[in-house]
Amino acid sequence: MSKKISRLVIVGGGTAGWLSAGVIAAEHAISQSSDQAQNHHFQLTLIESPDIKTIGVGEGTWPSMRTTLKKMGLSETDFIRECSASFKQGTEFSGWTTGENDNYTHPFTAPQNYNDTNLAPHWQALSEGRPRFDHAVSPQSVLFADSRAPKQISTPEYACSVNYGYHLDAAKFAEFLRKHCVEKLGVKHIKANVIAVNSAENGDIASITTDADGDVEGDLFIDCSGSRALLLGEHYKVPLRSKKQYLFNDTALAAQVPYVNPDDPIASCTLSTAQTAGWIWDIGLPSRRGTGHVYSSAHNSQDKATDELLRYIERTAGAQAAEDAEPRKINFDPGHRAEFWHKNCVAVGMSAGFIEPLEASALILVELSSNMIAEQLPANREMMDIVARRFNQKFLYRWDRIIDFLKLHYILNRRQDKYWRDHLDPDSIPDSLKELMALWKYQGPWHRDTNHIDEMFPSASFQYVLYGMNFETAPSTTIRRSDLAGREAAAELFQKNIKQRQQLHAAMPTNRELINKINTYGLQKI
Amino acid sequence: MSNYSLLSPTAHAKLKVITERGGAYGDNSMHAMTFPFEFRDIQSNYPIFFAKDGESGQFYPLGLFGFQRDENLFLNGNSWDASYLPLMVERNPFLIGFQKSTDDESAEKRPVVSINMDSPRLSETEGEALFNDNGEPTEYLQRAIHNLQTMHSGHEQNKVFIAALLENDLLEPFNLDITLKDGSNNRLEGFYTINEEKLASLQPEILGQLHQQGFLQAIYMVVASFSRVTDLIAKKNATLA
Repeated sequence: MSKKISRLVIVGGGTAGWLSAGVIAAEHAISQSSDQAQNHHFQLTLIESPDIKTIGVGEGTWPSMRTTLKKMGLSETDFIRECSASFKQGTEFSGWTTGENDNYTHPFTAPQNYNDTNLAPHWQALSEGRPRFDHAVSPQSVLFADSRAPKQISTPEYACSVNYGYHLDAAKFAEFLRKHCVEKLGVKHIKANVIAVNSAENGDIASITTDADGDVEGDLFIDCSGSRALLLGEHYKVPLRSKKQYLFNDTALAAQVPYVNPDDPIASCTLSTAQTAGWIWDIGLPSRRGTGHVYSSAHNSQDKATDELLRYIERTAGAQAAEDAEPRKINFDPGHRAEFWHKNCVAVGMSAGFIEPLEASALILVELSSNMIAEQLPANREMMDIVARRFNQKFLYRWDRIIDFLKLHYILNRRQDKYWRDHLDPDSIPDSLKELMALWKYQGPWHRDTNHIDEMFPSASFQYVLYGMNFETAPSTTIRRSDLAGREAAAELFQKNIKQRQQLHAAMPTNRELINKINTYGLQKI
Repeated sequence: MSNYSLLSPTAHAKLKVITERGGAYGDNSMHAMTFPFEFRDIQSNYPIFFAKDGESGQFYPLGLFGFQRDENLFLNGNSWDASYLPLMVERNPFLIGFQKSTDDESAEKRPVVSINMDSPRLSETEGEALFNDNGEPTEYLQRAIHNLQTMHSGHEQNKVFIAALLENDLLEPFNLDITLKDGSNNRLEGFYTINEEKLASLQPEILGQLHQQGFLQAIYMVVASFSRVTDLIAKKNATLA
């Protein structure tokens, strides 16, 4: 009989490690010493180095994080309070098209009635002076201008009026998850450094030798050790596939910025502002903002990039904040491992790969990876190779889609800087994206572009970026009866959207007001 | 509109309060907050539900008077047709407030009586006087003050009551679809009620605890009050005749 998989070992803390531990332990009950006698045996151990500081990448989440936290049995009120979290309703892109006061948003809510109606061609057919695409089709963006929340204090935990994810303090988040995993879910926490990886005869990892806690044996090892990829990279030598030819950014300068006044508005979106050779992120937490400049070192010097970041901070938070800012440099090689699950080791988080933080793909990949591990946890060693193969297939596909979607943000620009011109070079565009662009010229993205049931980016996301950047899909060359029939329904949906925008704007508190209330009263569970 | 001012024998010496009921006096509300100590009287007249306060999201119990905004089916001209008037309705136009007695930050706030100067109940010519010629509170005002004090402890009791309900998962959202005799469909939304299944499966020690706190009876009063919905529908149908 093949060996049962009952001992999981996660190497590395940080958000990737603790999030994976939480997701897996929320699905698979960890056995207490009392019920081991009943032949139920499942253990989850997390080894965390007391010496390595976590990098804290990913302070923005997708709406899926609400489900993830809820499944783990966490209270949203506790999460908001303890992780300095706020509500993220999408991303706002400034300067990405021309660099001259252009702006569009990618909200988390799909266009009106998106399941049945494609409003995009109807919007394109509207005369000049039409509202922007994101304003015309979705009510959500009305909340962005004055930093309003996606829910009210009377809305239960994790429920919403309009879809949202979070902005959070990554260090506090890891600690919040650790506490829950250890105290509530039964995860064993070992604080020690890994000093050796010990192989079994079949090439599997048999155990990890630590400095403070001896050997830790396991049946499945999850590598959450960050970009170092201690197990998958250093031990198994699975190579990193660079994607720099598509996405040039390889350096980030991160700086925390205080609010000018403690009760300044907390932005509803991640703000993304294009620079000469990259872009600046700006994430509003209740306590501070997190900013950073991610750029291509081939196109920009560190001095100039720092200067651009400091000027941004000065413009948005004042001269003092710019003077006090201490940008921290992070180098990364944009790309992902050639495979993610090798033998009895699977990489989750930066050990699997990292590409610039555009569209916040880091934490969602941790959620998706750990969910698949939890859902398809191999019953025995024999089955593991099959699950591993499926896992690799799925995530290689997902990385390709991420690269396509991120690259899309860069290829509709009309900026003059070399970096932005280089992004238009056909050699820098993946063939899969080229094909989509050729198609979308005559047939805009809609449900027909969804190949998989669990596609990461819905076609609505492509619409928001394309039409936000003034992409033109040519009108149909034939008179489509379905268009004629749909015209009236579309006009009604545009009207409905206007009305919903007014209602939402009147009903929603600001993020600051809501978070203050959550701190005072908490959200109800029902 | 509310414009509360601290009640004083000098400023409000001549003030009278009209005590009859009616829409003109602001009685046309769909529901009012209630308190466990008056549940027995409330449930014999009105359905008791729970709602969330819009400002804080906190739950509170209420007596239901109608099915839509500004509808009070118990109002009949200038009378309120019920054997018991909820304290929260009766207390108008007074409100209990809290004031620091000294400048000392640590000093305890003492309760003070305020009056809504914009209330349509205020008059100089008709109604119940607040103070006698010597500037002493009249019997009417004394009773009003007593009611305010009772309500104040009721607020505190509500907090503990709600906390006990939530802790034991005893509240659940509740929608009611009502078809009236004219065929129209009405939906009552946004209210919460006692989850009777959860209530029935409570462990004896929890039941004992709730009983000790005085909440077990209150919970069953809420459950019993559900029959009053039928009465309310009948009242509504009567208006359609």
